Amino acid sequence: MAHNNPWPDEGNTGHIWDDDLRELDNPPPLWWMLSFYAGFIMIVFYALYYPTIPLPGSYTKGVAGWTAMEEYHEDYKILNDWREKKFAGQEEQLAALSVEEILQNDELKTYAVKTSKVLFGDYCAACHGSGGQGNPNFPVLADDDWLYGGKVSTIKTTITNGRQGNMPARGMMGNLTDQEIEQVADYVIALSQGRGEDTSVAAGKGVFAKGMCVACHGPKGKPLALTGAANLTDSIWRFSGERDQVIKTITYGVNVKKNGELTADTREAVMPSFKGRLPNADVNIKRLAVYVHSLGGGQ
Amino acid sequence: MANRPKNFEDRLEQNIFGLFLFTALLVSIAGIVEIVPLFYIQETMDYTEKTDEYGNVKNEKFPELVWERTFTQDANGKLVSDKALYKQDSHGNWVIADWKAGDGVRPYTPLELAGRDIYLREGCYICHSQMIRPFRDERERYGHFSLATESMYDHPMQWGSKRTGPDLARVGGKYSDVWHVMHLMRPQNVVPESVMPSYKWLADNKVSASFFGTKRDMAKRLTVMRKLGVPYTDEEIANADAAIEGHTEMDAIVAYLQVLGTMVTLDDSKVYRE
Amino acid sequence: MDTTVKPQYDNGVVKYLTVGAITFLVLGTFLGTYAAAELAWPALNLDIAEITFARLRVMHTNTVIFAFGGMTLMATAFYIVQRTNGVRLWSNGMAWVTAILFTIGLLATVVTISLGITTGKEYHEQEWPLAIAIAFVWTLYTLNFVMTIASRDKETHPNVYVANWFFLSMMIMITYLYVVNGLAIPVSLFRSYSLFSGVQDAMIQWWWGHNAVGFFLTAGFLGIMYYFVPKQSQRPIYSYRLSVIHFWALTFGYVWLGAHHLQYTALPDWTGSLGAVISLAMIIPSWGGALNGMLTLSGAWDRLRTDYILRFLIISLAFYAMSTFEGPVMAAKTVNALSHYTDWTVGHVHSGALGWVAMVSIGALYHMVMKLWNTEMYSMKLINFHFWLATIGTVFYVVAMWVSGIMQGLMWRAYDEYGTLAYSFVESVAAMHPYYVMRAVGGFLFFSGAAVMLYNVVMTIRTANARQQAGATANA
Ligand code: HEC
Ligand code: HEC
Ligand code: HEC
Ligand code: HEM
Ligand code: HEM
Ligand SMILES: [Ca+2]
Ligand SMILES: [Ca+2]
Ligand SMILES: [Cu+2]
Repeated sequence: MAHNNPWPDEGNTGHIWDDDLRELDNPPPLWWMLSFYAGFIMIVFYALYYPTIPLPGSYTKGVAGWTAMEEYHEDYKILNDWREKKFAGQEEQLAALSVEEILQNDELKTYAVKTSKVLFGDYCAACHGSGGQGNPNFPVLADDDWLYGGKVSTIKTTITNGRQGNMPARGMMGNLTDQEIEQVADYVIALSQGRGEDTSVAAGKGVFAKGMCVACHGPKGKPLALTGAANLTDSIWRFSGERDQVIKTITYGVNVKKNGELTADTREAVMPSFKGRLPNADVNIKRLAVYVHSLGGGQ
Repeated sequence: MANRPKNFEDRLEQNIFGLFLFTALLVSIAGIVEIVPLFYIQETMDYTEKTDEYGNVKNEKFPELVWERTFTQDANGKLVSDKALYKQDSHGNWVIADWKAGDGVRPYTPLELAGRDIYLREGCYICHSQMIRPFRDERERYGHFSLATESMYDHPMQWGSKRTGPDLARVGGKYSDVWHVMHLMRPQNVVPESVMPSYKWLADNKVSASFFGTKRDMAKRLTVMRKLGVPYTDEEIANADAAIEGHTEMDAIVAYLQVLGTMVTLDDSKVYRE
Repeated sequence: MDTTVKPQYDNGVVKYLTVGAITFLVLGTFLGTYAAAELAWPALNLDIAEITFARLRVMHTNTVIFAFGGMTLMATAFYIVQRTNGVRLWSNGMAWVTAILFTIGLLATVVTISLGITTGKEYHEQEWPLAIAIAFVWTLYTLNFVMTIASRDKETHPNVYVANWFFLSMMIMITYLYVVNGLAIPVSLFRSYSLFSGVQDAMIQWWWGHNAVGFFLTAGFLGIMYYFVPKQSQRPIYSYRLSVIHFWALTFGYVWLGAHHLQYTALPDWTGSLGAVISLAMIIPSWGGALNGMLTLSGAWDRLRTDYILRFLIISLAFYAMSTFEGPVMAAKTVNALSHYTDWTVGHVHSGALGWVAMVSIGALYHMVMKLWNTEMYSMKLINFHFWLATIGTVFYVVAMWVSGIMQGLMWRAYDEYGTLAYSFVESVAAMHPYYVMRAVGGFLFFSGAAVMLYNVVMTIRTANARQQAGATANA
């Protein structure tokens, strides 16, 4: 050795760096060496068992025949078998019966409601609120005020195909003046407060007829048919009851399109269609329709 | 006196360049074994193959996975195709042309691609994955598991590694445009429990502007994408800047979100992967 | 020959990098703590684009991993390579260029990310001009390191010390990975598109991603461990043969693991399995390092009571052993199915990053400060205080994330008595709140410790400089 070893008896390798850095010549602990080799053995067995090794055109499939797909289908089968065992009756009935019939069967209805909670949470709550309480711009589902009707079959149609309400800008002929719009807005606000007959808003009442609002909202602000127009006689606002917001709705309308595109300030009201979206859509839409119906306002 | 190496290991310890080379060789092995086969084993891409230098692709086994169109050079040497990705309608709006949802994976339109760039810029991938695993719970919550083909035009991929928010691989069509706008403006207004930040500046910024007053040059971006194997025709590239004109960053990101997962319609009863 | 004359070393650049590393530790843990607080209280995003959670988090990872971790690696590599080879740096000037450019590169990274300039590739967010600059700096660093070793006196230093092997393999591997993963075509000064897409991109991305962990955050820091543990404890390395075996096993083995980040994704089954099985086999080689360090300390246990720096080193080894056990467990298919996408990963990251990387660095940095300025620390008590803040902070953080991560994983897959999903996604978000608060508290403790360290080090340096000046005037 080129340099002397000040620690001749401690069993070091004889290499010394930076004055006192040295290494002992101990063997690695036996358990460590054994486990180290065991690691190699494990790799061999694992590689035989699972698909692991790439080959010139493919890869080894492993003796177990394991694939992620297989595992997926097995897991699903376990779940489905279990559901089948416990709820085959209910599921078959949900598939076979109409929503009205489901509604009439208390037990089935309870079942549909109980199995809808998370479905509603993951697919609907972002717009309608976790309990159907609505959000600004998205209708409340937990009340008995409906745009399209609270019949369970209507609800089912809504969920299946989606909805897009329409209201023209500046009245049906599009010719209301700014002043007229302010007047009709005051009238509409008065309607919602039950003051529809107040003389102070009489001018608006005239505009309401002139703008042909009656066509959709009904002569008294209450739609005659449930075709998407909002009920203006209650204090539930689809968009907002602030005066300037009501003016905005009347000025720009709802889902008004020009040249195939929505106009700048129009209200957008789009309920997406769920028939191609929900897992197991046929049954799940019925389930959700019953659930929404049960939120409080079903008719 | 010479320190004669005792063995190979000792020789490496004494020769730093030897150690360097040997280490460099050793660490290359794994990369070669694990990465190279992904470029040639056919099943990797659910049988989707690239067929020529223009980026044409086909999938005979599952034609529904890719939007197949044929590229050729016309008399002037321009790259043209039998089907157009997007076109200008009679009102002057740029709309999708010969493709409809479910026709298979296609390149992004300029607006969607711009939206995707903004998705990256804001770091949405930090909280959102775009990779649904083949598990029954993920199938029920997010939809059919994701396939490799679905991200073949994604340079880079956005699979993500964390779900602080839900997976977005199939969020397209789940909500309306206006919901996305409201949500991005202030998530807590529509989902009170949300921890997602507000992105309200997206509504103010024009998408045609990029960093520090530079222009978001979509023609350049599409050209680069084509170099990377994403098939666009010459005309599509030429119109790319016009197609995003007038839009905000919000429009672009919503366009991107709304296309996620809508390109292919997958059938639960089919075996796309073995 | 005469071994009594001590060679003069190039210390200036090491001093600079040491202080830089500590500063970036404070900055990086501050950003982490703020990011943690944003998840607990989203209003803290303040609607400012530059500090929204996602951008801030990427600023955090780049600051702690590349700025703090990188500067620590540079400081220690330049320190160790001189001392274990008995020579000065091959080029002191080049080391300064490396250090300064690296600082500028990382500051630019943090600023550009906050502006939204990013590649969108996790852990490789620098856009191409910066990426090229950083790759260049890294090459200078590697070159200087290798040439310094090559210029040693082979008579007195025939064999290269083990710490240097680890640094070397780290430098080589990081160059490979960083360059390949970064291949892209620019569309402007601020944006480029990756050469790869989809599955191939994912695999290449995580081949880099995992080895940023395996080489940058592990091999490099094992190099640190192999020098500072024996030095601080004044004990010889327990087993040379263990060093050899575990070095080669790690160097060869770690590179295979990237695919464990992509199990059950659209990556083919075989690739995921390959990543998983080699991961499982990595427990033992990893423990080789922890074991060698711990056995080196055996016999010096009594010093733990008085030597606070040694405490940082020992606890780092414990966390290293723990996270390299946890990692392989998480790589197992069934566990990964649960843990992937959840906070469990984040908990694992930080048991490695705080418990191992930061702790071992802190120990090494304290040691170097005392040697470089040839002085005792300004306050030993504050080191002890720092130790407890760091340890308790780490435990808070990691435990909170274990609980929240496992809870998330279980909530997402839970089925109720009807066989339908039991929780909607937002219910899981709401359930995380208390743990996000707990993590923010833990992070704040850890950050406070780092701030205490910076103060202690600054005071130490000021005292040492003042003393030196006083000595100089007295001698004059
Ligand atoms: C993108 C947001 C959005 C989502 C998601 C959504 N809805 Fe709607 N929903 C709306 C809007 C907007 C309307 C009102 C449509 C209109 O005004 O024409 C509506 C209307 C409805 C109506 C009719 C209410 C009435 O008063 O007649 C029902 C019922 C309904 N949604 C149920 C659901 C269910 C069940 C789901 C989940 C499967 C769901 N919605 C998901 C936005 C949404
Ligand atoms: C073609 C049918 C139609 C006509 C005509 C029409 N509306 Fe509407 N109106 C609607 C629909 C549909 C909605 C609800 C949109 C939704 O909820 O999706 C609505 C909503 C409203 C609202 C918002 C209610 C709320 O709760 O926020 C106001 C106010 C209103 N209409 C006033 C008027 C006035 C005033 C006129 C005439 C100038 C008018 N509407 C003409 C269809 C119509
Ligand atoms: C701090 C983490 C975080 C960031 C960053 C983030 N999100 Fe989210 N995101 C969430 C959370 C949590 C939810 C679930 C609650 C909600 O709907 O707001 C969510 C929900 C969503 C949803 C609804 C998904 C669904 O299926 O219900 C969309 C779409 C979305 N985010 C898009 C984005 C986009 C685009 C960006 C980037 C511009 C982004 N997010 C950034 C956390 C985040
Ligand atoms: C043998 C040792 C190790 C193995 C096998 C291992 C394995 C793993 C696994 C399986 C994941 C989760 C991947 C996912 O599901 O997304 C992971 C994530 C991670 N690990 Fe480790 N780990 C090891 C050691 C370490 C150490 C010592 C650190 C130190 C800092 C570390 C840092 C990380 C990081 C940063 C991530 C997060 C990656 C991401 O962003 O998703 N790991 N590791
Ligand atoms: C005060 C100390 C720290 C705090 C409070 C902190 C906080 C955080 C937070 C909140 C995240 C985001 C997690 C998420 O997305 O849910 C994160 C991610 C991360 N941090 Fe830290 N951090 C700290 C220190 C460190 C250190 C010292 C390192 C490395 C040396 C580090 C490395 C990382 C990495 C790699 C990730 C990404 C993890 C992943 O993608 O899975 N952190 N940190
Ligand atoms: Ca209602
Ligand atoms: Ca991650
Ligand atoms: Cu990893």
